Amino acid sequence: MKKFLVIVGIVMAFFIIYFLQANFFTWFTISGVMPNLFVILILWIGLFIGKKMGFVFGIIFGIYLDLVVGKSIGISSIMFAIIGILGEYLDKSFSKDSRITIMLTVMASTAIYEIGIYLFRIIKWGIPVEIMPFISTLLLEILFNVVLGIILYPLIQKTGYEAENLFKKKTVLTRYF
Amino acid sequence: MYRNKRTGTIGIIITIFLLILVVILSNMNTQKMSGVENALATLVMPIQNGLTYLKNKMEGNDTFFTNISRLQEENEELKQKNSDLEQSLRELEMIKSENEILKEYVNLKDKYKNYETVPAYIIHKDISNYSNVIVINVGSSDGIEANMTVIADKGLVGYVLSTTETTAKVQTIVDTATSVSAVLNTSREAIILNGMQGNYTTLKATFLPTDASILQNDNVETSGLGGIYPKGIHIGTVKEMVETKNTTDRYAYIETAVDFKKLETVLVIKDKGTEISYNGF
Repeated sequence: MKKFLVIVGIVMAFFIIYFLQANFFTWFTISGVMPNLFVILILWIGLFIGKKMGFVFGIIFGIYLDLVVGKSIGISSIMFAIIGILGEYLDKSFSKDSRITIMLTVMASTAIYEIGIYLFRIIKWGIPVEIMPFISTLLLEILFNVVLGIILYPLIQKTGYEAENLFKKKTVLTRYF
Repeated sequence: MYRNKRTGTIGIIITIFLLILVVILSNMNTQKMSGVENALATLVMPIQNGLTYLKNKMEGNDTFFTNISRLQEENEELKQKNSDLEQSLRELEMIKSENEILKEYVNLKDKYKNYETVPAYIIHKDISNYSNVIVINVGSSDGIEANMTVIADKGLVGYVLSTTETTAKVQTIVDTATSVSAVLNTSREAIILNGMQGNYTTLKATFLPTDASILQNDNVETSGLGGIYPKGIHIGTVKEMVETKNTTDRYAYIETAVDFKKLETVLVIKDKGTEISYNGF
């Protein structure tokens, strides 16, 4: 039952983020650049719940976004799924207790997601390659995501450990012994 | 007996003296006594002033207390009036906003009156920093199909990517994946326009003919080639020409006529690939 509630909570969080991105963050920008809170959500799922859930939610949320606002179905799903799987590997390699580690994983995930999408656009639609404008937009987006990550860190950590205890059935100490 | 006679004489003398003194004082000018009066006044007047001030204050407070309830009533009435006025103002603002949107529709309709068009609102803007796809509130039930041209009051917006029953996705011309075949208004030279990363007001014009003379502020419009956009729709004006070592690589920046950040209403042209007589320019 508690697991079901967590899943409902994730879906609700997705829709809250969706409406924030579509309304609030269209004007609350850094030099016209929006953050990407979906990446943080999928990363959270991968880090605290596991790669299977990260993969599944990544695929579902990605397909939904592609259907609603995307131009082709699949690429967002693939990239979100990669972020979801990556989350668990990052969890095994680094400690989630450190704020800096969380910030670095947010940075890496945002960069991987956006570079993947950009490469896909170059291959699929043959868009002109503009490295400098892309990098400047990407850096601002990463900065925005990191700032939001810092602000949301207590919430990420608290809800994350509760979800982790439910889904992974382990305490924090077990990984050290 | 002797003692009594003497006491009586002294009493008579004192009485006469007091009488004479009273007569003199009563006939004296009072102005000559002002010094004494001032001295006495100095002693009592400050105290009297203080007492009078307190008395007046008490009387004033009394009036204040009696007026509080009346003032409170007045205040409530004024608050109510203020609230009513604010409500009216809000309603007027809403009417004004609706009126402006309707005017915009009427203007758009007039400009493209030879074509069957469908007005629409933008209900969703892109949530990505790397693409520019918008969603409008008309769909297949309104006769909208993929590849129909979408315009705004000032010029070209983009084309319909896909539709649902009630909505349509529109790829704007500022999306980096969009290419528009265009011509320069004066020289009629053909160029290709592409969206630029992170820029919502400028397009990049490439494939410029080597011998073409490009004038600043020259109007750019659709060429009609490519099968999506009808010929003659205004796109923007030449902002800057960039020369390179190799003349085939030179390019120009075109400022879009439409402000995509503020875009709210659009018009979908149902006709495809025909020349438009655009009255706006």
